[in-house]
Amino acid sequence: MKGLNQRNKNIILNIVAIVIAIIFLFPLYWMIISSLKSDSEIFMRPPTWFPHKVFFNGYIDQLTGPYSILRSLKNSFIISISSMVISFCLAVPAAYGVSRFELPGKKLIILVFLVTQMLPISVLLTPMFLTFSNLKLLNTYIAPILAIGTITIPFTVIVLRPMFLTYPVSIEEAARIDGCNRFTAFLRVVMPVIKPGLITVCCFGFVYGWNDLVYSLTFNSNNALFPMTTAIYNLMNQYGTRWNWIMAYGCMLVTPPVIVFILGQRYIISGLVGGAVKE
Amino acid sequence: MVSQSDNLIQVKKKRLSQQYRDNITGYLFVIPALVYMLLLIGYPIIYNIIISFQDVSAFNLAQGSARPFIGLQNYKTIFANETMKIALWNTFYYTICCIVVQFTVGFLLALFFNQQFALAQSLRGFIVVSWIIPVTATALLFKYMLSPDVGVINIILQKLGIIKQPIGWLINEKTAIYGPIIANSWIGIPFNMILLSTGLAGIPNELYESASIDGASSFQRFWNITVPLLRPAMMSVLILGFMYTFKVFDLIFVMTGGGPVNATEVLATFSYRLSFRNYYFGQGAAVANVLFVILFCVALFYLGLINREESM
Repeated sequence: MKGLNQRNKNIILNIVAIVIAIIFLFPLYWMIISSLKSDSEIFMRPPTWFPHKVFFNGYIDQLTGPYSILRSLKNSFIISISSMVISFCLAVPAAYGVSRFELPGKKLIILVFLVTQMLPISVLLTPMFLTFSNLKLLNTYIAPILAIGTITIPFTVIVLRPMFLTYPVSIEEAARIDGCNRFTAFLRVVMPVIKPGLITVCCFGFVYGWNDLVYSLTFNSNNALFPMTTAIYNLMNQYGTRWNWIMAYGCMLVTPPVIVFILGQRYIISGLVGGAVKE
Repeated sequence: MVSQSDNLIQVKKKRLSQQYRDNITGYLFVIPALVYMLLLIGYPIIYNIIISFQDVSAFNLAQGSARPFIGLQNYKTIFANETMKIALWNTFYYTICCIVVQFTVGFLLALFFNQQFALAQSLRGFIVVSWIIPVTATALLFKYMLSPDVGVINIILQKLGIIKQPIGWLINEKTAIYGPIIANSWIGIPFNMILLSTGLAGIPNELYESASIDGASSFQRFWNITVPLLRPAMMSVLILGFMYTFKVFDLIFVMTGGGPVNATEVLATFSYRLSFRNYYFGQGAAVANVLFVILFCVALFYLGLINREESM
């Protein structure tokens, strides 16, 4: 009898969980099906919960039309991969440095990384704009890439530090006895051990760069350099209420981060938690 | 002949120089990132403070002329501006509404998914996907779903009998702020849930077991075990949530641009408008500094809290 109750409870819990998941995933479903609707179907009332006829025009037009998405797609990849690589090369050693060495001023350094994560973008925008303008960096890829680093570097350090602290030092010491110096030991022994952490910060480095809107919007007025986020913001008014077009663009915009999420879900969640929990 | 104390000094010196060499190696790992941060965060923060005391506009930028120091004039101007008061109010109102919704619902969901059932782990992981999606896309999606004519949210609410007429969510000054609040909840709830879930998972099961043997009801167990043990996690979720929400920019910028008639203007969008639409860089910097000071106070409070917990 008790076993039966337990089973019923289990079934109910699963059903409730599915309902919750459907509610949360509904906006994404709605984005996808709206992107496949024709111009007349998108204005139909009551709306159709599944497109009667699937139209790919929203996609085809944006891939081949006058506002080709391909250029922005390329820009998005250039910006997000460059900022990911920069923050990886700078922040991974820094995270190692503040974990494995008893440096004077270490606490302060960690504090700086922790606090900068909470900094509002607004504080940096005006001074960066004026500085980049003096350095003739406006309307280049460099400006947004450098600016995005200010988000990803502190994040990487904060997420990786606990991981560097948890693996056993003895591995590293053994490597040093075998003739590695600190740098080669770091590259050959330590890096492979914290590979999950490195995957996490790469996922986030890419996604932060991909999702940036405002740095490219502010520092670049040349739309040949716009990533997808900035491009759709500027196209928004041109498309008006052609929501099927906008949603098709949206689908293409979210695909890369969603792929990263699906492939690296475990790493993403550990990063979310690691970036937010206290030091 | 070497005396023993000389020997000791030698050893100490050697140890010191070893320590010294270690420090140098350590700094070599840290310094590149630190320099980057100083140049791209430290310097802009200070520069932003300087700008906020100067008369910086498109005019004297184009002239290449000196930017006169004008003391507190920019701050006086922005606080005399009616929009500043609206933006301050909206920022707090938006933040508090978001926090209440995302914390309450996130907490309930964390408790729910903390139970043992087959799909708990996988479904909980899935709904976090909203966190990874570009805010630009989320903003457009909710702008579409909230539109009065074709918006699916109105249609669902009408079907459920909650409203009779479709609401022009983002068009009406009275309801506009709730648009970004709804969109933000879609991101914030899973985020809060996942952080609180981690906290919940850290509470040992034996505590609950022994409490139920002692005859504690499920509410008593929740109130006397879950709440006190989860308190540190709850505090950091609330404070971090406050900071993430308070600096909102992209979501409101794309959904409403601060309109209609300033109804959704927040500090970040107001600062952006002053700097990059009106080219009053000095005033834009001043608004950004107000935002910065408020967040800085909260950050200090947060760090104080962490310190107190660590010393306990």
